[in-house]
Amino acid sequence: MDREEILKMLKSPANWGQKYSLWVVYFCTGCGVIEIPPVITSRWDAERFGVLPMATPRQGNLFLITGYVSLKTLGAIIRTYDQMPDPKYVVGFGSCPVNGGMYWDSYNTIKHLDKYLPVDGWIAGCMPRPEAIFMAVVHLWQMIDKGIATGYKRYKENYGYYERNQREILPHLAKFGRVETTAGRNS
Amino acid sequence: MLTRIALILALPVVGFLVAVLFMGLSRKITARIQRRYGPPLYQPIIDVVKLLTQKENISHGILFDLGILLGLAGAFVTIVFIPAGGIQPLSTSGDFLVVLYLMLLSPLGVALAAGASENPNASIGVSRKFILALGYEVPFLMAALAVMTRFGTTSLVQIVSSQQGSVLDWGALALPLPALATFLVLPAMLGIRPFDFAAAPQEIASGPMVELGGKYLGFAAIQGALHTYIVVALFVDLFLGGAANMLTFFAKMLAVFFVGVCINAVLPRFRVGQALRYLWKWPTILAFVGLVIAALRRG
Amino acid sequence: MAMETSFALILPVAFLAGKVSPALRNVVAVLAAAVSVLLVAVLYGQNLKLDYYALPFLGVELAMRTDALAWFFAIAVAAIGLLSIVFSLRYMQGRERLDFYYFAMLVVNAAMLGIVFSADLLSLFVFWEVMSWSTYLLISYRGGKAVAAGLKYMVMSIAGSCAMLLAIASLYATCGTLDLHGVAQGIAKASPGYSLFILLMFVLGFGIKNAIVPLHVWLPDAHSEAVSPFSAVLSSVLVRMGVYGLMLVMYGVLGEAGLARLKLGPVTFRHVLCWVAGVTILVPLLIAMLQDDAKRVVAWSSVGHGGYMLLGIAFGTALGVAGGLFHTLNYAVCVALLFLAVGAVEHRTGTRDLNELGGLMKRMPVTFVTALIAVCGLIGVPLTNGFVSKWFIYKTLITEGYPFLALVALIGTWATVLYGYKLIHNAFLGQLPSGYREVREVPFSMQLPMILLSLAVILFGVLPGIAVRAIGSAQASLGLKALESGLWALPPAVGELNTINILSGVIASLALVYVAFALATKARRVDQSDSYGAGSYVPMDRYQYSVNFYQRAHELIGPYVRDRVDEFYRWLVGKAEGFFEQARKMYSGNVNTYAAYIVIFLALLIILKLGGQI
Repeated sequence: MDREEILKMLKSPANWGQKYSLWVVYFCTGCGVIEIPPVITSRWDAERFGVLPMATPRQGNLFLITGYVSLKTLGAIIRTYDQMPDPKYVVGFGSCPVNGGMYWDSYNTIKHLDKYLPVDGWIAGCMPRPEAIFMAVVHLWQMIDKGIATGYKRYKENYGYYERNQREILPHLAKFGRVETTAGRNS
Repeated sequence: MLTRIALILALPVVGFLVAVLFMGLSRKITARIQRRYGPPLYQPIIDVVKLLTQKENISHGILFDLGILLGLAGAFVTIVFIPAGGIQPLSTSGDFLVVLYLMLLSPLGVALAAGASENPNASIGVSRKFILALGYEVPFLMAALAVMTRFGTTSLVQIVSSQQGSVLDWGALALPLPALATFLVLPAMLGIRPFDFAAAPQEIASGPMVELGGKYLGFAAIQGALHTYIVVALFVDLFLGGAANMLTFFAKMLAVFFVGVCINAVLPRFRVGQALRYLWKWPTILAFVGLVIAALRRG
Repeated sequence: MAMETSFALILPVAFLAGKVSPALRNVVAVLAAAVSVLLVAVLYGQNLKLDYYALPFLGVELAMRTDALAWFFAIAVAAIGLLSIVFSLRYMQGRERLDFYYFAMLVVNAAMLGIVFSADLLSLFVFWEVMSWSTYLLISYRGGKAVAAGLKYMVMSIAGSCAMLLAIASLYATCGTLDLHGVAQGIAKASPGYSLFILLMFVLGFGIKNAIVPLHVWLPDAHSEAVSPFSAVLSSVLVRMGVYGLMLVMYGVLGEAGLARLKLGPVTFRHVLCWVAGVTILVPLLIAMLQDDAKRVVAWSSVGHGGYMLLGIAFGTALGVAGGLFHTLNYAVCVALLFLAVGAVEHRTGTRDLNELGGLMKRMPVTFVTALIAVCGLIGVPLTNGFVSKWFIYKTLITEGYPFLALVALIGTWATVLYGYKLIHNAFLGQLPSGYREVREVPFSMQLPMILLSLAVILFGVLPGIAVRAIGSAQASLGLKALESGLWALPPAVGELNTINILSGVIASLALVYVAFALATKARRVDQSDSYGAGSYVPMDRYQYSVNFYQRAHELIGPYVRDRVDEFYRWLVGKAEGFFEQARKMYSGNVNTYAAYIVIFLALLIILKLGGQI
């Protein structure tokens, strides 16, 4: 750690903690997740950046939307995102969350993740290489330092907008109606 | 009197720092074994700071809060009763039996919080944890009784001082079979591989910690680190002669912990039935034979 | 002493009062129990003796006495009896034959007080019998399966009482008197074989009541089928009458010298009894882990912890006997509390099947907290009373060099941890099924006994000296070495235990941790449905995940911890029934056959009388 780092740490320990201990919610949303195991294993070692995979959304604060988002998965993604505690960051991983990617004309995928969840950053590619993921992490650090990684705040402030979009595309989502579930419907 | 209170306050703090250092060392050594660089040594501090300064925390009720508090407080209380290289402020208030039962407080607290999580994964994790405890307690209690019988006392301070003569007086050499048995169950007591099925991230979504986030997870992580400290310190006190000063004591703890980290890094995970069968077979046989020998020598 | 006569008068009054009005009967019952507590409390520290009946044809004077040991048991009996009756006021409301129920509860109470206060063996036996049959009446009160359970209890109890009667008759023939001191002197002159016989008969009688291992088979059925307030009385003080009897016979009648004479080589009777107690600790507590019915779990735990008491008492050192007696008191408080809590849950939800309950902590918080404290007392968490008494027992076993007994006791505690947590988890933690969303907390008259008992658990855990001093005088009254102890710390010569320091440590750590906790952001409370479900919802009411809570352990140890003794008794009963079926065929109903029987029998008699002179 050089002097700049130490000054930044002393000025805001919370930011220092958030930056160097990004725990990824290990939710494999789509085919893009095939790039995640190489990232977290020995060859590309994400742990030296403080990035660890965590089992449940309660424990994680970085959500990588890896690959295409089908409608069914979107329900699960929204629920997982709602369960994460603040501050939380969403990074769209691959071309599919950006604009539909390879599935730009599919009836079953969503083309713009931004309408349903606040996204802090995008990684283009199909799939992006591990080095791109590390560049994204470093970029996220810089955003946290500058205080502009505020997706969670945008979500809370513009919740009406996000909820309208979610309701339009997933009217049966459990959070909009009964919370008890019966056989056959689980999102 | 004042020095005693100062020691009583200082010992948990020192224990906490040592435990955090051990956690960092564990991640670094595991990384190097796996031929990668690994996080910096102070990574656990970053993690705990992040968790404790999280802007939102989720709770499932008052028992959830109290359980985590009790878990961490129980660990701190237990540390004060274990001699750590010549520092034993409360040695006349609790002997080894008290320590064995104070070690129940913190898992009980975490189990209550997990029960209050209202999640099946947490309940399954706690049931696995208790089954594992029943598994390792059988050989461990035999070994502990062998130590207490051999040294003729239940006081940890006296057990440590009986081992001060030379290396030959160490528990490991005076009672080789119980020491070997305890060493074989040490991974189970620490909750590391091959016995980490109680908090298996891949199987049961981290078990008791499934609903813990933010400060709760931070406290649970600290409790896990302190539990490691307690178990390794007990092992050093019972079998490796304790120490006369704190530096030697922590050096011995580091040696034991290093072996644990190496085992954790290379082994996969047992199933619950396999673990029970392992724990109740060779470690139990060795500890039992050791206990018989110790009882015969005394009687 | 006057209380005995007043009790004898009050019992029919309670029954008759019920005929007048239920409220009057309730008031009379509670008053009777409360008055008995007061009368017993007044007797603290006094040594009195009262001859109340003379049997001139036997030359025996029936007498009652009070000394430290009697007072110790009497106060426990009276207090728990009162709390059970207070609990029954609302619990039993709306059931039938309530006059009979309160009458029987008071009879049981009076009989137990009679047992502990009797100064000679005949009054002990009379009150013992009164207690036995009134217990049968209460166990089979509910009808259905309870009648079979009561019958099993009655058969075993009668067997025990016959053994006791045999011993008492034999003692009368040998010593000429039934007064305890006279008997003690008489036995000291008899041979070791005779005193072993007497001791074995008494151990049979008291052991069946205390449920030590080959004689325990009545207890799980009886405790689970009886109504909860009576189960509380049954398992906390009634079975401990066996402990009282054993103390009396082993140390009051035989004395330490007499016990020391009973040996076969290096193995003394004490060793055998300690190992029987060891088996009683280990196997029943492991069986308790595998039960699904909440009351059976607590019933098996009763059997197991009786082993701790017997172990402490049979072991004989000051610390051991004090530990055994203290554990009697501690366990009585904890198990009464646990049965009352399980009864409260059953009262509100209608079931005690652990595979169906869950999450009741949110709807019945007082019951949950008191049940949690009771389970912590059972386990022996530091700062509860169970820890101190178990510490005594472990310490004495280890320092005297009996590590295998200590091992059994310690493993028993770990089995207790497992089934204790299972009980708390399956009933109170986890998810609340939608069928129980409207469950309410029990009324105050049911909460009050539970709250008082849980306060006692904590009080005796933090300030054990209060009870240990009373136990010390009880030990002294029997001529044993008494345990000295401070209010919260033991003298250094005895061991290192200072409960106030432990308490301060725990409070300080909790305060410290709470400060750190409160400085972080305040937590948001979430609902039960907002739980991790892998992006989905945990299906509610679709499956109960607390079934098979210890499945893996069950698979491994289940085959070894079946209740083989029960199976043996059932086999014996089956064979006996078969034999009696065959013997019944003798009654063929045919007059010709009966005439043939008479002729043959007369012929046999004539041949025998003539001898060989045919």
